[in-house]
Amino acid sequence: MSGYLDVSGLQIYYGGIHALHGVDISVGRGEIVSVVGVNGAGKSTLMWGIAGVLPIAGGSITLDGRRLPPKPHEIVALGVSLVPERRRLFTTLSVEENLVMGAIRRNDRDSIERDKEGCFALYPVLKERLRQRAGTLSGGEQQMLAIARALMSRPSMLMLDEPSLGLAPMVTESLFDTILRIRDDGVTVLLVEQNAFQALEISDRGYVMQSGNIAASGTSRELLENTLIRKAYLGG
Amino acid sequence: MFLQTLVTGLSIGGIYSLMAVGYSLIFSILSFSNFAHGAVIMLGAYMGMALATKANLGLGLVVAGSVVGAGILSVCNERVAYAVLRRRRAPSLYLMISAMGCSMFLENMVYATIGARFYSFPEFFKRQVIQVGGSSLSLLDLFAFIISMSAIAALHIFITRTKTGIAIRAGVNDMTMCSLMGVNTDRLISIVFFLAGAFAGVAGVFLGIKYLVYPTMGWVTNKAYIAAVIGGLGSLPGAMIGGIILGVLETLVSTYVSSIMRDVFSFSVLIALLICLPNGLLGADTEEKV
Repeated sequence: MSGYLDVSGLQIYYGGIHALHGVDISVGRGEIVSVVGVNGAGKSTLMWGIAGVLPIAGGSITLDGRRLPPKPHEIVALGVSLVPERRRLFTTLSVEENLVMGAIRRNDRDSIERDKEGCFALYPVLKERLRQRAGTLSGGEQQMLAIARALMSRPSMLMLDEPSLGLAPMVTESLFDTILRIRDDGVTVLLVEQNAFQALEISDRGYVMQSGNIAASGTSRELLENTLIRKAYLGG
Repeated sequence: MFLQTLVTGLSIGGIYSLMAVGYSLIFSILSFSNFAHGAVIMLGAYMGMALATKANLGLGLVVAGSVVGAGILSVCNERVAYAVLRRRRAPSLYLMISAMGCSMFLENMVYATIGARFYSFPEFFKRQVIQVGGSSLSLLDLFAFIISMSAIAALHIFITRTKTGIAIRAGVNDMTMCSLMGVNTDRLISIVFFLAGAFAGVAGVFLGIKYLVYPTMGWVTNKAYIAAVIGGLGSLPGAMIGGIILGVLETLVSTYVSSIMRDVFSFSVLIALLICLPNGLLGADTEEKV
């Protein structure tokens, strides 16, 4: 399989537990790919592994045919950006400083300004909150800032881990719309969700994870229409 | 008399603040008390003295040399003694023990090479005083206070206005996320240690000028530690305020009560404060760290 991001035979130990037992996934350029599955299936471990935070015990991760370097900051430099579960904003920093952090590697002041304006076009509320501490934002606003912060690094590949967690249904709806818009701007998206149906609805393809393995994969339509998979893994 | 005591207290408080800021910076980013900080201050003082006596440099260059020297020393200290533990995700207690080891090693290294002799700086201000309303104020004390406060103000501007400063505060908040933004966290930690070392260098030179230079002079960091805790460990404004309060109160006690009671008093203040305000005056729970 050769996509933009290729993960093959990935094994990761996390906290003394063999969390991933040889996971293979592939994400093509410009695709939205979802990884769904119950809590504890290893979805977040997969994300932290790709981002370079968790050491890999076996297998390989390649971007555009080249192996990813070992350190998180080197991986970000190649255009892979992670919005982790529970957003992990810099809560004591202002909204503006969080955006500065997103663009911390970049020195092109003019295009940073342009990208910041782009974020405000996507999320106008952030502009009103610039001087406010990120920790004082509402859940929905925090999710907006987390995505905006990741976009400030100009990623070619955006990984979102449970972005809908804790959001009201209306906010979730607009979140998924935004993900489509981001993809249309040319960013490849890898999406991890417990909210399997909504995630698959906006995705091109999907993988179902269970206890550290890929249990099923296919186009989103195939996964959604397969009653066996729906019953066994998607809770419906 | 009171004004004179106050100025002396402020100058000592300023030096305590410089040391406390170093402690707080490192505590906030790695969550451990760097007990090797005193040894860095001591070596900063020796470097300053060497520059003043052997190279006959003026005070400005002596301070500058000591800032750079102690800064580099502090970075080396981190690379040799803490980086390995950090990478293995060791609990912060291990870092603290390693720091104590470094402190002993450096002190004994000075004993073994330079010796136990007490050295004094050449007199930069020749006991110059200025008369204000009947009391004579030491120019050195005023100078030490002004330099200390300016250095802390400069640090404040650095960490609030520059990209590197924002990255340091982001790292204090969440180091993993900081690396996921593309920050080389090893380098960021080195920068923090350099800053702490630079402050130790300034403190070392002024301590050396005010008192003497000797291998165990770094133990005065006990006071800086108290100052940092009074202000709230991890809080930069807290470290400054804690240092000044402690310096002034101590000087008042030794002038008006008894100089023997000075240290008894300092530790009593610490204990009383820990009982009433365990997070310090500007503890990390109420105020942003760093």
